Amino acid sequence: MITVALTKGRLFKDFTAYLEDNDLPQYIKPLSEETRSLYTVVDNVKFIFAKGPDVPTYVESGVADIGIVGSDIIVEDVFNILNVSQLPFGDCHFSVAGLPEQGELKTIATKYTNVASKYFREKKMDVSLVHLNGSVELAPLLGLTDGIVDIVQTGNTLKDNGLIEYEKIMDIHARLIANKRTFYTKEDEIYKFLTEIGVF
Amino acid sequence: MENTLIINRLKLAQDYTALLDHENYQLVDMNMVEPFYIEDKEHHPSTIIFERNEQLMSIRSDWTRSLLNYNENYQLNHRHFGYFGPVVRGYETFYQAGVELYGPGEEDILKSIDMHLSFFQSKTADRYRAIVVNNDELLDLYIEKYNLDSNIKELIYEKNISEIRKVLGEEHPLTVLMTAKVSDQIEIINNEFENSEVLGFINHLKSYLEDYNMKFILDLSFRSPQSYYNGFYFQVFLNHDYPLLSGGEYNSNAFGIAVNLSNGGLL
Repeated sequence: MITVALTKGRLFKDFTAYLEDNDLPQYIKPLSEETRSLYTVVDNVKFIFAKGPDVPTYVESGVADIGIVGSDIIVEDVFNILNVSQLPFGDCHFSVAGLPEQGELKTIATKYTNVASKYFREKKMDVSLVHLNGSVELAPLLGLTDGIVDIVQTGNTLKDNGLIEYEKIMDIHARLIANKRTFYTKEDEIYKFLTEIGVF
Repeated sequence: MENTLIINRLKLAQDYTALLDHENYQLVDMNMVEPFYIEDKEHHPSTIIFERNEQLMSIRSDWTRSLLNYNENYQLNHRHFGYFGPVVRGYETFYQAGVELYGPGEEDILKSIDMHLSFFQSKTADRYRAIVVNNDELLDLYIEKYNLDSNIKELIYEKNISEIRKVLGEEHPLTVLMTAKVSDQIEIINNEFENSEVLGFINHLKSYLEDYNMKFILDLSFRSPQSYYNGFYFQVFLNHDYPLLSGGEYNSNAFGIAVNLSNGGLL
């Protein structure tokens, strides 16, 4: 039995659509059932449903053998995992954004302080970061910071709040990650699953 | 912690150190507080360091480093050492047992790995599932043969299959290797570098351990979490997610084997 940690929310919907595109009905039905259960078992695969930032933690510890997670999570923190493959969904990007008339950026609000810090350091920009856990668009609107670093998918949230993108930092995609030990000890089951879903 | 776990660990340590004594290893026990050299920090980031009388000191976090420092500071008559005792990493205590071989020949290494496998096989009803090995020099051979940029190393280390495909293309021998099952890699690498010295040792080890009937995996992505290993490296797994044995070459002419007495599946 292998355990696959899935990210709840939008990435989960994208994953089930991906399974549908790849004609894998054996997984779609159990995964699509409305339930409050935090896991489901299909044949030899146990799927667990977790919050995105927790998926690499489950995989790193070996509680899960495989994880499906946004690359935003694994570029923000360091995890001792195999970063096996980009998946063809979950596309969005990190951007610097703010009000249209904003001058020099001296303060930035973000949930992703490591990504932002690295970006501004490489740009040789002296910027102070303010960590927020969500709704970072509020920060420039309320005068807390000059701008934000955040994930942008359609741009509608920025637009609805009167903000614009200044610069794209990097692309984000869904990624398949794997535990460094069970990749060997459960080799046959892992390869079977990865082949089924089109990674190999 | 259960009494039986503590008793079993101590009993195992007693049997193991008796084995080492019988096989002419010099047993070592040392103070847990020891001098620390700041240049070691990179290889031992979880070591607790403090200062006393203008000298940096640390709490032992790795027997290999402790023994290496001991070996560099004193004239020793032995080349094979054995140990058992606690180490502290971050705020946690772990129990390590193992051996260090200084200036070993190939036969010394093979014999020591075999001795460990044979001893621990007798201590469990489980059987060995897999031995995973690598030597970073194999990737260097690919880089040299196919004139690759050294940036490819990071992609191999993290087994980033999608990026390797993008950078090298689907048909490149290194892509073919990395998309094959890990247990098939050894045959593919043998076809590329059959006569290399590095592979010679790995093949020799494979045949040496055939009687244990475990899966032999060579994977170019496989690396030690301890960055001081700089040559051949291996781990042996019981039916468990964490390795029971880990070891490899370091410092260009030393070889160590560590036994995982915390979560290797033995106790």
